Amino acid sequence: MEYDIKFDRVSFHYADSESPALKDINLEIKPGEIVLITGPAGSGKTTLCSCINGLIPHYHEGLLEGTVTIGEYDTKKVRVGGLASIVGMVFQDPESQLVTNSVADEVAFGPENFGVPREKINKRVHKALEATRMTGYEDREPHTLSGGEQQACVIAATYSMHPEIYVLDEPLANLDPQGRAKVLELVTDIARDFGKTMIIVEHALEEILPYVQRVIVMDKGRIIRDDTVEKILKAGDVKKVFKRPDVTRLAQSIDIPGFPLHPEDLVTKMQKKYDLNRIRDTIMHERGNGKGDVVIEMENVSHRYEAGVNALHDVNLTIHEGEFIALLGRNGSGKTTLVSHIIGLLKPTQGKVTVVGYDTVDTPTHMLARHVGFCFQNPNHQIVSFTVQDEMKFGLKAHEIDESEYQQRIDKALKIVNMEEYADAEVFDLGKGQKQRIALASVLTLEPEMLVIDEPTTGQDPEMTDEIFEIIKRLNKNGTTVLVITHKVDYAAMYAQRAIVLNQGYLKFDGPIDELLLDEELMQANSLELPHITRLAKQLSTYGVPANTVYYDDMEIYLKQMVEVQRGN
Amino acid sequence: MAIEYRKGNSFLHNLDARTKLMIFVGGTVIAMIILDPLLMGILFLALYILGRNAIEKDVLNNNLKVLVMIFLTFSLFQVVWFTPQDSYFLFYLIPWKNWIPVTVQGLIRGAAVFFRFFSVVLAVHLMLYTTPPVELALTITERDKHRTFLATAAVVLVLGSIFFVSALPTATENNVFLGIEQTALKLAVLAFLCLIFAWIALKVLGRGLPAEMGVALMLGFATVGIMAKQTEQITNAQKARGYDVQPKNLIARVKVLTALLIPIFLATMQRSQDISIAILSRGFDYNISERTYRREFTFHRQDYLVLAVLLVVIIGGLLMSRLGVNSPTETFILNLLPK
Repeated sequence: MEYDIKFDRVSFHYADSESPALKDINLEIKPGEIVLITGPAGSGKTTLCSCINGLIPHYHEGLLEGTVTIGEYDTKKVRVGGLASIVGMVFQDPESQLVTNSVADEVAFGPENFGVPREKINKRVHKALEATRMTGYEDREPHTLSGGEQQACVIAATYSMHPEIYVLDEPLANLDPQGRAKVLELVTDIARDFGKTMIIVEHALEEILPYVQRVIVMDKGRIIRDDTVEKILKAGDVKKVFKRPDVTRLAQSIDIPGFPLHPEDLVTKMQKKYDLNRIRDTIMHERGNGKGDVVIEMENVSHRYEAGVNALHDVNLTIHEGEFIALLGRNGSGKTTLVSHIIGLLKPTQGKVTVVGYDTVDTPTHMLARHVGFCFQNPNHQIVSFTVQDEMKFGLKAHEIDESEYQQRIDKALKIVNMEEYADAEVFDLGKGQKQRIALASVLTLEPEMLVIDEPTTGQDPEMTDEIFEIIKRLNKNGTTVLVITHKVDYAAMYAQRAIVLNQGYLKFDGPIDELLLDEELMQANSLELPHITRLAKQLSTYGVPANTVYYDDMEIYLKQMVEVQRGN
Repeated sequence: MAIEYRKGNSFLHNLDARTKLMIFVGGTVIAMIILDPLLMGILFLALYILGRNAIEKDVLNNNLKVLVMIFLTFSLFQVVWFTPQDSYFLFYLIPWKNWIPVTVQGLIRGAAVFFRFFSVVLAVHLMLYTTPPVELALTITERDKHRTFLATAAVVLVLGSIFFVSALPTATENNVFLGIEQTALKLAVLAFLCLIFAWIALKVLGRGLPAEMGVALMLGFATVGIMAKQTEQITNAQKARGYDVQPKNLIARVKVLTALLIPIFLATMQRSQDISIAILSRGFDYNISERTYRREFTFHRQDYLVLAVLLVVIIGGLLMSRLGVNSPTETFILNLLPK
């Protein structure tokens, strides 16, 4: 049976919110369509998805106006469980959706709820695991899997329910590039092979646009664009809401038609349209030297967890004052284990770690924290107070800083993270991006010599990601040594000077990030995706374009030089 | 070390979860009815051997070691305070004051208490170590609405015979039982009543938890690992902020706990909300009364064997007390001693 999705003048107000999350939405999605919904954080994407599977109005409290129908069913009149047999939902954080003790139980959970007989459940589990390439994982505990495997497990659990409609709310957000590719391929295969409707909420346009037919752009609870991929790309960017992929924008800047999405596609089109010139001059960027005193010294550090897992092998590392370092590697490569040594949360089972001269084995973590500030991936784990003021004072009190300094330090830290106007706000009223910045600010009140930041941009929209990296850059310019764990190679390449790559606990690369970008083999072996601009630069290196170009503006200048004569400039 | 499920492929691991639950229930009953230290020692040893084959020695012993002292204290109480009249006196624990006499009976019964407590605790340990928590939750959940006639008959028969043996003394010692004098008729009526009671007990107890509660329990078990991981992350986050999470001062420790409790509480709230959304989105409220289960519980030959042994020991124990042979070991030792 086929089910279309219809929104008829739908508005929704969350019970505890003053402004509506959705405003006057009219939308129709036909069976078998693959639709991308995009837009900045807080634009109403997740709310829209929750309307489709009935969590609104049955779970999230608020006022729903208008009607949402799935096939013949009005979502107001059908239970979430009933809709679940038609609409399968996958959320951003896979771990939050895994509720049982084994992968097989997880995949069977939906069919069990539908009262499917045991023999058929087993068949469905088998097929779902096969479709998601998870066969052999049946008895594994879901929370011990990598991010990509967890998300594949959630998708298998949805697949086994045999829904007609898949709603995926930022399914790629928590994954490394390898995991992202796996999940993306999985879901689009399912949609195409079985003619299912697929609605994907995502920010990563470069990756997702090749797979979808239609794009919906949302802002402030409204649909501001709804069209085919080509028409959406043709209509251009919307400031702070919708930015087309770099390659598409570059193509437009040199009058290449057809909205290419991949660097290879753009190069072919350029070669077809123009006789390309060799570029005249290249642009040099000043990167900080960061060669002050030694802040961190790791000598032959190995770490073995109690369970017998070797997480680090003979790592040697020296970090100097003022450096900006990106720590890269796939999920489970040992990045968090490595940084946990810097703050003394883990002690080396072999070797020695020194932080500003203190051996971490003899120095308690709370002492090391005076020198090294640590920002965790999930700000909720860090925040302990109900108001921003209290939260900011927490660290100061713990370190017995003189009370007369409080206000000046708090104001300064809030200013760095652009949150001055939230000084009196309640912490739990803030969005994730704002919480992340408050968590960072509270660390900054202690004025640490070094900052370690674990995945600061998980689940943030591109605008927020830009802002966070700009803040970190400012701090580094003012002398703070920075070590950032990230999957975003493009941002790492734009902001950091040095890259450290870990793979299964082994240090695979430690050097200038420009050099890393040139080593394609190493990048691939570590599941590091070359930024699109750099991929394009590599293709155009025969024309003199530096193969490690990472900035959009540089590339635009190079391309314009390459096609200059033909365009009559 | 936490007593939690450890994967394996031993005899115990391969037993049905219900059998392991019965080992614990049956073990408790046996510990209540058998007073002989040697018999309880054998039971304890048998359980321990099963445990050693199922899980690593260190894991098993580490958790039992703590209990040895506690149960030895219990035994000591027994030795010290159990001085019935005509007990075989050995010595005084505080000889210069002639305080606290230690007797042979006291020592024997002390040993019995030690093994009785230990057997029950070991049975629980073995059940938890070798059964996935999900299966334990499902064993006590109402699952199969239609139990076959044969299965019902078998359970009623087993329960009925236990009731019968335990009620036997009451029926036979009194001359008139329910107005009946003939022994054969008394026994027949007693057997019939026991079967009826067994059937009622099965109907009442055999229902198990409603599916909602059973699944909730299952989800709860599955959450323990995740919550432990989350708590560790929160503690680490506070340490990394410069908070001394293990201060020497007791008041400071309480303060630290409060600081950790807020994020842990919020994380728990968040987790419960996540679970609600996740299970609703996967059809939890579709039609809970018709829910089915992937995990199948089937008794195999080894399960029948274990259950039969349990049954024999329980009935044997009941008969022993009926015949007044409460502790043959005690009688044997006393016979050896000079009068």
